Amino acid sequence: MEKKSLWKKITGSREASLVIVLIVLCALISVKSPAFLSMQNILEILKNNAVIMIMSLGMLCVLLVGGIDISITSTLALAGMSIGMMYKYSVIESTLLGFVIAAAMGAVCGLVIGLVISWGRVLPIIATMGFMYIYRGLAYLVAQDQWAGADALGTFKDFALSNSLGLGLINNVIVITILCYVIFYIVLKWTKFGRNIYAVGSNEEAARISGINVTAVKTAVYTIMGLLAGISGALATSVYASAQPNMQTSKEMDVIAACVIGGVSMNGGRGSVLGALLGALVLSVIAKALPLVGIDAIAQNTVKGVIIVAVIILNVLTQRMMDKTNLEKREM
Amino acid sequence: MAGKSGRTISAVPQKSFMKTILSWEGILLVLFIGINIFCKCISPVYNFTNVLREMPKYLTEIFLLFPMAYILLMGEIDISVGSTVCLSATVACLVSNAGLPFGIVLLAGLATGTVCGMINGFLAVKFRELPTMIITLGTQIVFRGIAEIALGDGGSVSLVNADGFRMIAGKVGPFPYLFFVVIICAVIFTVIAEKRVYGRSLYAIGSNSRTAFYSGIKVNKVLFTAYAVLGFLAGVSALFLISATYGANTTTGKGFEMDAIAMAVFGGISTAGGKGKLTGAVIAAFTIVCLRVGLGQINMNAQVILIILGLLLICSVLLPNISSALHKTRKKA
Repeated sequence: MEKKSLWKKITGSREASLVIVLIVLCALISVKSPAFLSMQNILEILKNNAVIMIMSLGMLCVLLVGGIDISITSTLALAGMSIGMMYKYSVIESTLLGFVIAAAMGAVCGLVIGLVISWGRVLPIIATMGFMYIYRGLAYLVAQDQWAGADALGTFKDFALSNSLGLGLINNVIVITILCYVIFYIVLKWTKFGRNIYAVGSNEEAARISGINVTAVKTAVYTIMGLLAGISGALATSVYASAQPNMQTSKEMDVIAACVIGGVSMNGGRGSVLGALLGALVLSVIAKALPLVGIDAIAQNTVKGVIIVAVIILNVLTQRMMDKTNLEKREM
Repeated sequence: MAGKSGRTISAVPQKSFMKTILSWEGILLVLFIGINIFCKCISPVYNFTNVLREMPKYLTEIFLLFPMAYILLMGEIDISVGSTVCLSATVACLVSNAGLPFGIVLLAGLATGTVCGMINGFLAVKFRELPTMIITLGTQIVFRGIAEIALGDGGSVSLVNADGFRMIAGKVGPFPYLFFVVIICAVIFTVIAEKRVYGRSLYAIGSNSRTAFYSGIKVNKVLFTAYAVLGFLAGVSALFLISATYGANTTTGKGFEMDAIAMAVFGGISTAGGKGKLTGAVIAAFTIVCLRVGLGQINMNAQVILIILGLLLICSVLLPNISSALHKTRKKA
């Protein structure tokens, strides 16, 4: 096999080109505002976007099997709101228990969605649209026209302020995010389950014939998505020191956008943990940078949207070019 | 007439009464009547006039249902239509406040919607390998973003002179104008889907886009038109929305796309494409509207209504799937 040139390697690999985009972005911004690349600022960005970054992992898995989940922020709100109310009425005290309950609730929510999609053969977009309404409605019912503020959350909100898990250097929230990424990187790359996810996404029929339990894989993927949404619910409650039934509304689009920018295919089978990470990072850096470079807060959504559209179009164009060169090279 | 294989093929489809009732549209019709009886039982003020009075709030969404159904029939989707409504409403309000004549205001609103739809259509046609979900996800953010910029820091605009819009909001007896427009649209869109070449090519594209292309259907043209029409009707919807609210803000039209898709799916239109009927979607839409009005009248929590709608949506897809699966296993046994 002939060796690829460095240039080909960079343009050919999605992740490498994203890293370059990220570096260029950071360089441009730090010229304008030198404070941007300070350690403190970077940690701040990571902490504030931890929820999106963690849910991108679950969305990556869901997109890999060719599905989609737009109910995640409703699951997040339901889990976050539930533990918020538990702290408010002193049903539970310990921080760990809060996380466990939120994660378990999220997992159950995800399991229900997974069963409806894989056993009931309902299209993912429809099923999750329905559950988006249902879980959000349940979150409002749990709240009973109230919300859990900073004083109601007690010691739980201190979790997001302390660095105990990160050896006094890194914030707890960031530690959890990193932990999730490491676990998913290993699982998706080197375990049987991880490879099954890719197999199902690339060709469901082939996967079924080669003995993979497609139904189980799909159910598991949505359960994992729910689990991560539940954990994110606890994190969001802790980071923002409040639980409200409308928390993170319509942020699921940001999560999907992060995955798509990171090169995860909507048709399944293509995408990586690194890509999802870089996609989420690009989005959060842009969101943080726009006010620094003097773009009004009011124009932020437009710029974000234009960037998403531009990136996906660029993606298609490079793919087309690659296909064309491959076709030309093919021996006749 | 006996075919090659000896089967008799009748030119006229023979449908028994039971089959008509058991079709999805039949079930929906029964459900529609059932829900009306149910609402009448739980709410003493549930009657024809009251329903019509509260309807305009929901009718603006039904507009979007028809072209959305076309797009779903092709197996595509558009989640940017709520933002299109927002942008059209914003532009129309701003133009009206600039003191321009009402005709130009209408034109501005409709043109904005159509242009947004055409942008979606253009992107969908030019980049066929991209799922339309992703394209419209991007434009959804962009359209609402532009509206946010136009609205400025306050995030909202109210009409200075609402005379023209008051005219649109007029009524004939108990029926608002809007009602007639929706009914006319429903008839036109249903006839086109059932009887015209354009409508049948929608089904062909939805069943198999490639086969449709090779059998001479101009897939791109059909797709582009559907998106442009959806944009245009989003403009119409925006104008009627202004006539009810006398203004626009950054959350105008939020969730419209999901409601329109939910109505279509509840009406039996598959988002995988090629399956479903417009009549079903129309009945489903009015069923949902009646249910919302009825539950709203007994002051039921808006969130509980959301849960019920979500359950309805999932069950409407889940139950037929389960029953057909049971049918298959029974056949095997």
